[in-house]
Amino acid sequence: MFKDLDPILHSQLRLAVISLLISVKEAEFTFLKEKTNSTAGNLSVQIQKLKEAGYIDIVKQFRNNYPQTICRITQLGVIAFEEYVKSLQTYLGNGNGHENGVGH
Amino acid sequence: MENQERTLTEKESLALITQMINKAKDSFYDTGLSSILWGCVIAFCSLEKLAEIQFGYRLPFDIYLLTFVAIIPQIFISLQEKKYKKAKSYNDSLIENLWFAFGISILLMMFVVNSVFAAWTPVFEDYQKLAAHPPSFRFYEFVLPLFLILYGLPTFVAGIGYKFKPMVLGGILCWICCVIAVYTPIKIDLLLTAFSAVCAWLIPGIMIRSEFKKAKQENV
Repeated sequence: MFKDLDPILHSQLRLAVISLLISVKEAEFTFLKEKTNSTAGNLSVQIQKLKEAGYIDIVKQFRNNYPQTICRITQLGVIAFEEYVKSLQTYLGNGNGHENGVGH
Repeated sequence: MENQERTLTEKESLALITQMINKAKDSFYDTGLSSILWGCVIAFCSLEKLAEIQFGYRLPFDIYLLTFVAIIPQIFISLQEKKYKKAKSYNDSLIENLWFAFGISILLMMFVVNSVFAAWTPVFEDYQKLAAHPPSFRFYEFVLPLFLILYGLPTFVAGIGYKFKPMVLGGILCWICCVIAVYTPIKIDLLLTAFSAVCAWLIPGIMIRSEFKKAKQENV
């Protein structure tokens, strides 16, 4: 029996964001946008979903009169990411991966 | 990246995770200016002190006070770098605190050295009166090796943290110079300190600066 992959993380942009945030202490919205090559609108929607799931914290502040959004992964986000990677490894290790995604 | 939430295959997921982690690693941001600043300041102070001893003159103030003045441009450089840094890694945070701890340690070392000097001076004078010649032990001959121990520590650790070999070697060189300076007169100690500052900070700083400029040009 395989556990379904976390649907919050099993999406291209959200997984990219979490993978970036797991590697840094904190990152600005512009950093995430630049590294993921995404649009501001789409990224906003996806980080909001991650926030609602409790996987990231978002801090909005002003720096030099410009709005700044800083994202940080939470402890829950770290655990979810680790679980996700473990599940992926299990799927791949057992040769059960298929081309159309898992658990959907 | 596509606008819709595309579901990934397991292989694609793993590839994406690897790609993003590597991209995050590449976001190292350092202008090299701090290293250049401190390399110049320490080398200049040491060489100026050497010139004072060599040519028998004295400035109305201790040239090492320049290190306190250098804190002002350092604050400016740090604020500028912070402004352009879009992500902060755990490494950055650790190394930032390491340099802060180094600054505190240098201040404490200055305090201890000055206290020892204050306590040693009357003993030195009494000895000179009684023995009619100065004692062979001169505490100031051992001061620069103490500072070289401290110079080596953050340089070595920061070099390891950023996987930047010139800084690792610079840190090791500070420790080698420390050992040599224990056996050499003060003039050589000052030369060794200047040499260490150039090798540990100035040269790596120039290398980081040139990499930074290259990266900036590529991004234009």
